[in-house]
Amino acid sequence: MATQQSDSLITTEVSSSQTGRSAAPDETVISSTDLDVFYDADKALDDVSIEIPEHKVTAIIGPSGCGKSTFLRCINRMNDQIPACEVDGELHFHGTNVYDPQVDPVALRRKIGMVFQKPNPFPKSIYENVAYGLRVQGKEVTDELVEDALRNAALWDEVKDQLDESGLDLSGGQQQRLCIARAIAPDPEVVLMDEPTSALDPVAASKIEDLIDELVEEYTVIIVTHNMQQAARISDKTAVFLTGGKLVEFDDTQTVFENPAHDRVEDYITGKFG
Amino acid sequence: MATETGTKFQAVSRLRGTVFEYVSLGASVFGIVLLAALLVYVSIDAFDLANASPQWLLTYFLTLVVPLIGFCLYSADDRQITRRTGLAVGGGLVVSALVFTGVEALVGPIDRLSWPLVYLFVFVVPTTGYTIFAANQETVGGVGFGLLGRLLGGTALGLAVGVLFLVFDPQLWMLAYTFGLLPAALAVGYGQWRPDSGMSSKALPIGIVGLVVAVGLRQVVPMYPTDFIIYIWSVSMPIAAGGAALVAGQRGRTAALSVGLVPLAVAVAGGFAAAGFGLPSKTVLLVLVTAGVPVAVFISRTLTDGEGTIGLVLPILLAAGVLVGALIVDFAGFPAPDPWLDPSYVTSSPSRTPVDAGLYPAIVGSVIIIALVAVLSFVLGVGTAVFLEEYTAGSGWMGALTRLIQVNIANLAAVPSVVYGLLGLGLFANFLGFGFGTAVTAAFTLSLLILPITIISAQEAIRAVPDSLRQGSYGMGATRWQTTKNVVLPEALPGIFTGTILALGRAIGETAPLIMIGAATTVFSAPDSIWSKLSAMPMQIYAWANFPQAEFRYGVVAAGVMTLLIVLLGMNATAIILRNKSEGV
Ligand SMILES: Nc1ncnc2c1ncn2[C@@H]1O[C@H](COP(=O)(O)OP(=O)(O)OP(=O)(O)O)[C@@H](O)[C@H]1O
Ligand SMILES: [Mg+2]
Repeated sequence: MATQQSDSLITTEVSSSQTGRSAAPDETVISSTDLDVFYDADKALDDVSIEIPEHKVTAIIGPSGCGKSTFLRCINRMNDQIPACEVDGELHFHGTNVYDPQVDPVALRRKIGMVFQKPNPFPKSIYENVAYGLRVQGKEVTDELVEDALRNAALWDEVKDQLDESGLDLSGGQQQRLCIARAIAPDPEVVLMDEPTSALDPVAASKIEDLIDELVEEYTVIIVTHNMQQAARISDKTAVFLTGGKLVEFDDTQTVFENPAHDRVEDYITGKFG
Repeated sequence: MATETGTKFQAVSRLRGTVFEYVSLGASVFGIVLLAALLVYVSIDAFDLANASPQWLLTYFLTLVVPLIGFCLYSADDRQITRRTGLAVGGGLVVSALVFTGVEALVGPIDRLSWPLVYLFVFVVPTTGYTIFAANQETVGGVGFGLLGRLLGGTALGLAVGVLFLVFDPQLWMLAYTFGLLPAALAVGYGQWRPDSGMSSKALPIGIVGLVVAVGLRQVVPMYPTDFIIYIWSVSMPIAAGGAALVAGQRGRTAALSVGLVPLAVAVAGGFAAAGFGLPSKTVLLVLVTAGVPVAVFISRTLTDGEGTIGLVLPILLAAGVLVGALIVDFAGFPAPDPWLDPSYVTSSPSRTPVDAGLYPAIVGSVIIIALVAVLSFVLGVGTAVFLEEYTAGSGWMGALTRLIQVNIANLAAVPSVVYGLLGLGLFANFLGFGFGTAVTAAFTLSLLILPITIISAQEAIRAVPDSLRQGSYGMGATRWQTTKNVVLPEALPGIFTGTILALGRAIGETAPLIMIGAATTVFSAPDSIWSKLSAMPMQIYAWANFPQAEFRYGVVAAGVMTLLIVLLGMNATAIILRNKSEGV
């Protein structure tokens, strides 16, 4: 489904921004209004309102502890797994409030894949790791789907002869790409990535950046990163969270990095604080 | 000046630490030595080693132990290990002879012990263990002991299956296998061969319908093939097919066919031949299959891998050692011991005369109880642990309830076993009418007894599964059950196995609750259904210990204790193998 949509977008694509992606009017896929998140009594997100466009890379940056991971977990309701966590406000995915009691978080997560901050492949074979999402979602597992996912994650050439070996035997960077392959194998619409390159060397990191560049043709990508250059390189939109869980600025990446509206954002980006 | 005082390092007193270290060392050594001494005496009594002549010991030492150690040293191929072993075996001889005769001269004769026996237990047995351990790390030794382990383990499994069929209806099993398990397995196989057929998902309904049909048919069908044919069709053939399937994936069709068919043919032929010699043909068939198929699979794998194939001779080496030893002893007429623990001991019923006394009904009773307890406590324990760890919320009234249950489970683990016996008497024997001293009552009571331990160890194992794996699974859109089944349980399984089997070890040795529920101390025929009255090994041993004749106390009881220990060790070995297997994936 995502593929079809992107096909239609690709044909009308006009390269404009520095990432060379569509400048067509953005269609919002995820939007939040006045989102508050509490861990017991501590406020982790404060009144966050944001509109995330489809088939774009949205980067989330901000100092440690400002609530980036928390926001990411709000989108696919992974916060439900944390007993202390309470979400207040609305977050819409294709116009549906995901915190509506009618919404099944399991069904939601089948549309929104996630790559975690720390690589966490299952102690299963590489093949089974990639096939996991297909299996639990009741989709058919074929060798082609597994191969495609591994190719998209730029891992196929390295592991094609050892698909039966444990995913834990891979290096950290390979594990991270395996987790990406695992996330995209069931063909979600949105891929959430929490600092996917924080543990990687520059070569592996740039592989993943290239990968994100390709992914965005089919998926909407939201990526948390501490690396300003990375955010500037790969994203179309940038959201800056600052301490206290406030979304201070959200705009085109170019604008945020070259002409930020807030002095504190400029200070953060230029490394004066953070 | 300042530097001078600053660099003065006075000795810090370590007296208390040192005292503590030696006291705890002494305490643990004391315990271990006492236990070792007890075990030595038990085995001396059980195997009547006190009456073994030095020539007899020497013969078997030369034909059995020396080749075994030689094999191990060859496999370990390590000069240091060889030197150490030589020193222990050679020096130990001198030391034990000198020390033992010295002590006897000074203190007086020691009952039922001689210096060759001291040498055997203090030097030979530990050294052999050490070399086996060292050899097992290397390819040749690994192959040899792998083969030996499959032989012994398969034999034990075959005997256990035979015992279980004394109680569980083989005809029902045949129907269940034919109409339920076999079609379901075929569906899974077909589904894997043709993934688009979707047959795999139909396996479960097919199996369930088949089982229901089987139970229904059992009520109406009057005629059945003989047990021997049932065992061939519904036990031997699936095991052979399983072995063949294991090999087929990696080594191709010919290897698979031979791995499946050769042991099957040998077993069937063996079964028929056994009948001719007056041996129990069904047991022979089962043992040959359960030992033969794993052995065939192992040999096939070793041969294709082509590494350490020489290790395959180990069982032949040992068998030849026993044979040659027996020939020499027979020929030279060396006085041999007359062990209490011999084939007739484990196959005959208890008796008032020590030489005739046997443990058979009690062994069968224990095996059946353990099988039932294993299933019950595994299912209940793992189920409860999964519920407590994965399904209950940490807050709210459910959380409070969970914590209450949690605390109480910990307390239940400390309740004395007689109390559980009382509960079993009241609840299972009386109220639910399972009967006094029956297998079912005993199994339920013992399951309750070990349930807290099983639950707690399963919980520990589940809790040890990293949360990031659960997150990963939920993040992929898995439901809680899918996460539990696919990620949490496989990771926790090794720990759960270990905990459950250690708890089973406790259950097998219990007497107090069995006495409470009215189990007999002595039963003269093996139970033939789960509703029949039975005895268990510890009960029978306890009864014998009170008999007036000294032979009971010094021979029969020792043999019983030895049997119990062997069964326990076998169970622990199974636990370790299962754990390693499920960790190895
Ligand atoms: N499971 C949790 N329980 C309680 N508090 C939490 C939990 N997770 C996060 N918090 C709190 O919420 C706030 C935001 O955390 P979050 O993990 O979203 O930060 P982050 O921006 O991702 O930081 P980092 O860049 O270091 O990953 C922090 O103050 C943190 O202490
Ligand atoms: Mg984070």
